[in-house]
Amino acid sequence: MKKICLTATAFLLALFAHGQSPFRGLTPAQQQIAWSQAAIQTNPDKAQPYNDLALGYIRRARETGDNSYLNQAEAALKDSAKRVPGNLEGEKAHAMILLGHDQFVEALQFSRKLNQKTPDDILTYGFIADAATALGDYAEAEQATQWMLDLREGNIPGLLRAARLRVIYGDTDGALDFYSQAYQQIPPTQTEDQAWTLTQMAEIQLSTGHLDEADSLLRSALQKFPGYYLTLEAAARVETARHHYSQALDLLRQRDDGSVSLSSLYFLALTLDRAGDSTAASAYKGFELKALNATNEAVNANRQLVLYYLGRGNKPAEALRIAEQEVSRRHDVFTLDAHAWALCANSRYGDAKKQIDPVLALGIRDAAIFYHAGAIAERLDDHADAVRYLNQSLELNPESEVAVEAHDALAKAIAASAMASNKR
Amino acid sequence: MTKKIAILLFALVLAPGALPAQNETTDALIKSLAIKVKMYPGDYKAYAGLGAAYLQKGRETGDSADYELAKAALSRSLDLMSNDPAAAFAMTQMAAACMAEHQFDQAYIWAQKALAVGSGDPSPWAIAGDALADMGDYQNAADAYSMLKTVYGSEDEQQAILYQRDSRMSYLRLVAGDAQGAIQLMQGAVQTATAMHMPAENIAWSDYQLGEEYFQTGDIAHAEQAYLAALRLYPGYYRALAGLAKVRSSAGNYRAAAALYDKAIAAVPYPEYAAALGDVYRAIGDSNKAQKEFDLVEFIGHLSGINKQIHNRELALFYADHGIKLDQAVVLARRELEVRHDVYTWDVLAWALFTNGESKEAAAAMSNALSHGTKDAQLFFHAGMIYADLDDSLQARAFLQQALAINPHFHPIYAETARQTLANLSTKTGSSPIQEAANAR
Repeated sequence: MKKICLTATAFLLALFAHGQSPFRGLTPAQQQIAWSQAAIQTNPDKAQPYNDLALGYIRRARETGDNSYLNQAEAALKDSAKRVPGNLEGEKAHAMILLGHDQFVEALQFSRKLNQKTPDDILTYGFIADAATALGDYAEAEQATQWMLDLREGNIPGLLRAARLRVIYGDTDGALDFYSQAYQQIPPTQTEDQAWTLTQMAEIQLSTGHLDEADSLLRSALQKFPGYYLTLEAAARVETARHHYSQALDLLRQRDDGSVSLSSLYFLALTLDRAGDSTAASAYKGFELKALNATNEAVNANRQLVLYYLGRGNKPAEALRIAEQEVSRRHDVFTLDAHAWALCANSRYGDAKKQIDPVLALGIRDAAIFYHAGAIAERLDDHADAVRYLNQSLELNPESEVAVEAHDALAKAIAASAMASNKR
Repeated sequence: MTKKIAILLFALVLAPGALPAQNETTDALIKSLAIKVKMYPGDYKAYAGLGAAYLQKGRETGDSADYELAKAALSRSLDLMSNDPAAAFAMTQMAAACMAEHQFDQAYIWAQKALAVGSGDPSPWAIAGDALADMGDYQNAADAYSMLKTVYGSEDEQQAILYQRDSRMSYLRLVAGDAQGAIQLMQGAVQTATAMHMPAENIAWSDYQLGEEYFQTGDIAHAEQAYLAALRLYPGYYRALAGLAKVRSSAGNYRAAAALYDKAIAAVPYPEYAAALGDVYRAIGDSNKAQKEFDLVEFIGHLSGINKQIHNRELALFYADHGIKLDQAVVLARRELEVRHDVYTWDVLAWALFTNGESKEAAAAMSNALSHGTKDAQLFFHAGMIYADLDDSLQARAFLQQALAINPHFHPIYAETARQTLANLSTKTGSSPIQEAANAR
């Protein structure tokens, strides 16, 4: 972890719940939508109820994964702007919509302008951090996040973004600490926020091979917000790591009862494949077709498509083409990693190393990235680095999706290393 | 009869932008912030500050119009800034304004909204807990108060949060019948407030609250000390004046009590103070002055639509206590019960029903009032009278004995009524009521 720091003792995850609400049965986003609509009836000339309505729809998009709610949010913002053109809360909601549509460059530019107008607005820094993180501009994301924490110590949006950066910088314990601090402060009425935070914590536990801990967090998350698609997807990953493919498939199908995403289609195909299911090929095909159609869209699955072409799809040249296209738009750690892996598959080992080195330099601890780094090093006959990275991959998460490949590669790297020593 | 351990809107003074207590300071602050918002109509902080200042003014004067002004300013602030941790302050103030107007469900929602923007400041939990307590949901109120802790901010800020927790938990202990636990917590809160050099009004409120708890347990000497401590720190503090008036009244020093109530009413004309003063005049035998105060009670209670809402319970109790507009007393008590389900609202409903001759229904309401184990002389007195009317002399005697055992001077008139009723009941059974009361202590 770099500068983002906050002196705090770790909280225990005490589960606190009392569901007092006049809108019992509605999700937090639905409640907000209902409140806002009532407020619009009362104050039809004010802009703020429309902004609140837009926020309700934005939250609903996050609750369901259904981005069509963002269109309704846009419509509400138009009504807001008619009443008070250029009002700050409306513009902030617009930034959130840009982020929701994965229009990160536009979101970053828009948020920077907003930030110049209102430099003490905490969430605007958050939008800058979000967009910069998605684009791989971690220094800017870090600076913006530090501003958030400096402006108001311990604020939840700041803690959540700082936690995400700590993951990127490889400080998973620190990330869990921040998530935990944030979770402690989320009121029990904000069930989706609670579930989202628990799911992020579970993802960290999963990435470090702590499957039981991840499972426990995800169960809590589903209690908070039943049927939450992000949680179901993460739970499916836990079951996959346990080689419980049929349970994983059940969870993924539940997840896809709501809004289906391109990445969830890929994950479903991958899981069917691992389960030895005969429908895996057609699932891959369905994913490929849809993902190809979206390659030029802001919301795409280019990274998954690259990984597919480098695996079952067996089109390394196509993988590289798409990776290059994506890396021209963003250079976050996962895009750089996918690009490096595609370069490696196309025998451009030196270029692959150039792509993956800055990723590793950030300190990120990810089993797949370590595996890729090890494999690239091995191709470059750097056996020592290969052994080191492959060991890191397996030590970090012995149950990762690349664990089998990492074991094989490690054995080969060790043998090659021994042979090289003998030659000397 | 005046009976209320007030849960105050106390988080506010500890929240960012804490306000000095003096009226003049508040007036000056309102003036300067009003100029500021005129000059900078897009300044959400200034509007939030103005709202907080009006709220403080409302606390100082008891004028409900100030709460409406507070809400208008806060609403403007939230129009300008609502989706940001920085909006938590205005939302918390809005919650407090709703509490002041007895809109407990709205107060709870605003407190939750304040928490949802994630400012890192747990203060809204205090108001959430207050709203829950007033709605009679004591367990969840305790859970909400238990969230009043933080690892952020300076040591003083962290202590301030703990102060909010302990002073409120103290009230819950009192409701649960644990007077000693309540007093211990409140003593700690007073020490914290003093050590932190909180504004004088805050420390004075803590002393006053401690005095109320002592008074409720019949420890009149310590109650007097606490009220005097509050007045030393914050001369003219109306709550402490009224508290001290109760002490003087309980000692039979009605002239001194009347003078103190007069001063308190001059500062903040709460109907319960006027009612208590009327009772003091009645005890002296000055029926003209008593009636004047009783007229004032109704006048204040009906001064505005909001006042009607705020003072439903006090008016209901006043009518029931004084045998006037008895049907209206029940209507008001029931209306209050629609928004407030705490033990004292159940008690007032029970008392109003009793005075209307509905003792069976009154007993049912009373069982709700007593269901949390609250040890309060007023509650026991009402229960005793209800059961006496139901010819359940065993229960009636037990309750009346408890009332007198807790505080033999709990009311200038009704303490004597309790003794007489107990005597009548005991005559039937042949034992001495005084001896029984002494035994019960």
